[in-house]
Amino acid sequence: MVLATPVVETADLKKTYILGKVPVNALRGVNLKVEKGDFVAILGPSGSGKSTLLNMIGALDKPTEGKVFINGVDVSTLNDNQLADLRRSIGFVFQFFNLIPRLDAKGNVELPLSIAGLDKNERRKRAEELLETVGLKERMKHKPAELSGGERQRVAIARALANNPRFLLMDEPTGNIDSKTAKEIMGLVKRLNKDEGVTIIMITHDQHLATQAKKIVKMLDGSIIKEIDQL
Amino acid sequence: MKLGDVFSYAFSAIRLRKLRAGLTTLGVVIGIAAIVALLSISQGLQTTITDQLQSGFATDTLIVSPGSGGGIFSGVGGGIGSSGSDFSLVVTDTQVIDEIEGVVTSAAVIQEVGSVMSGDRTVTSLVVGVDFGVYSEIYGSTFVAESGEIPLNPDNDTVVVGKRVSDPWQNGTIVCSVDDAVEIVWANTTVRPPKNETQLVTVAAVLEEVGGLSLTGPSDSAVYIPISQAQSFFGTDECDRIVVKLASEDDSTIEAVSEAIEDAFSNQVSVTSATAVLDIISSVFSTIELFLAGIAAISLLVAGVGIMNIMIVSLMERTREIGILKALGMKSRTVLAIFISEAVIVGLLGAVFGVGLGWLLANVAARVFTGGGFAVAGEQGAVRGQFAITPVITPTVLLGALGFGIIVSVIFAIYPAWRASRLKPVEALRYE
Repeated sequence: MVLATPVVETADLKKTYILGKVPVNALRGVNLKVEKGDFVAILGPSGSGKSTLLNMIGALDKPTEGKVFINGVDVSTLNDNQLADLRRSIGFVFQFFNLIPRLDAKGNVELPLSIAGLDKNERRKRAEELLETVGLKERMKHKPAELSGGERQRVAIARALANNPRFLLMDEPTGNIDSKTAKEIMGLVKRLNKDEGVTIIMITHDQHLATQAKKIVKMLDGSIIKEIDQL
Repeated sequence: MKLGDVFSYAFSAIRLRKLRAGLTTLGVVIGIAAIVALLSISQGLQTTITDQLQSGFATDTLIVSPGSGGGIFSGVGGGIGSSGSDFSLVVTDTQVIDEIEGVVTSAAVIQEVGSVMSGDRTVTSLVVGVDFGVYSEIYGSTFVAESGEIPLNPDNDTVVVGKRVSDPWQNGTIVCSVDDAVEIVWANTTVRPPKNETQLVTVAAVLEEVGGLSLTGPSDSAVYIPISQAQSFFGTDECDRIVVKLASEDDSTIEAVSEAIEDAFSNQVSVTSATAVLDIISSVFSTIELFLAGIAAISLLVAGVGIMNIMIVSLMERTREIGILKALGMKSRTVLAIFISEAVIVGLLGAVFGVGLGWLLANVAARVFTGGGFAVAGEQGAVRGQFAITPVITPTVLLGALGFGIIVSVIFAIYPAWRASRLKPVEALRYE
């Protein structure tokens, strides 16, 4: 049996920041493997290094030591342009949505498609499909300020899905919305994982939220302390 | 990202802050308008002056003036830039010049600033002594009588007056007309104490209006007396210049005759052609235009600094946005392109409106000048010309202004755009 390349793999990943003159070991040798179709929750209190890990997995930052492989590619060997290309295969969902305020819902979903160089018609079609998938077909002409928190996060998820990413990387996706909407969002995320086979890596400090995932990776002080399969 | 999408994204960012973008653009508008207005007015002025000179010029003439190297300006107007030579031309030197091949005829000119008195009216004018017959042969189109007749063998007390001497205020108040007796007054400063020499003369003819600035040919503000009379009236045989009519206006003839005349007087004279004078004027205007454009360009540089300032502010406001774009896979060079595109849009809009505004200002200014009766002291003393300046905008100025507006905007945007492109995604996303 041939094993498929893991979507994300880290090997003894270390990251040290210099805060003032004091070195801070944010990651102290993390080994993580995420396979295709997984839904992994990385759980930990603030300061546990989970955000630093997210930056490494998202190719937003480079490790001090150790390696990150995304789709089998060693991120540390890539230059600026190659990193940008790689990020297109990652769907980011942020806690604060990070939508572009001046663009409407459709414009926001079209943005990564435009960055990828798709032409206008393809972009429009794809954005409409995605907004329909997240249940915002009727709201696509609305700007972020005219949408509720839950609706904004749906737009962000639609945007993250635009370029058919290898995995969704979610940073506290329900951290800024009410619990009822949070439940709906999690329902959507689980459906995407189950029905569409989208690989999901979710970072959270919310124990309850983490239980929605197939696998929980617990972090503390820059290290993985426990991995729990929930299957 | 496609170029069209880059521009459309940049445009959406500009549209978001209309007032700020408008004010930034206004800086460019003012800079470009200043350049266009100043250049089109000075080019219009140049065209006007050149046209007026050409109308008073015969292109088949040469002007011989004493002194080497000084050119026409050492001979006329009382020796501006005179070379300091002791050499003088005398009236009979025309005989030497007439011998030269390619010369049809030549006329000596003696002139002094004086005035014409008629009753209680006095008009300042040039008193010019010429041979009427030869002079009218040389200036067949401008030394022409409007009323009366130019006598070919005049009596000593016969004069021909220019249009502005007869009708100095252009309002029908005639100081003198044909057959009137007038007094010519000349202040003789060669004696101590200076004394006014006066001569009673009769007007034989009033010249047609020459118009414009006549550097060398007939002038509207001159009174012409026979050369022999000028010699005795001014008490000298020395002439200010000799006007030469050529057989042809070819460059080769102009050059050959010029050299021959200089040789004949052992390089103690300067020979100037109409073409050379126009060249001088053109080069003077080029310098003036460069100077004016330079001043105007400073205002555009100020606008450029404004662009840079506002883009740095915008960069800080949009740091997070840049982080998002990079997280979505945008390359650094695309971020750079977006910021540069914003500057291109501001520069282009500013340049287009600036050209329009500049053109408007130039026309308003031209109207003010023209309406106000722009008086110019010409080379021949009291020449008054009424100018109608028509601003001229050449394709070079137009394209140059557009290009300059965009280039300045882009240059000042390079640094903020570069900084934006260098932002690290993880830090930009964290930026509050």
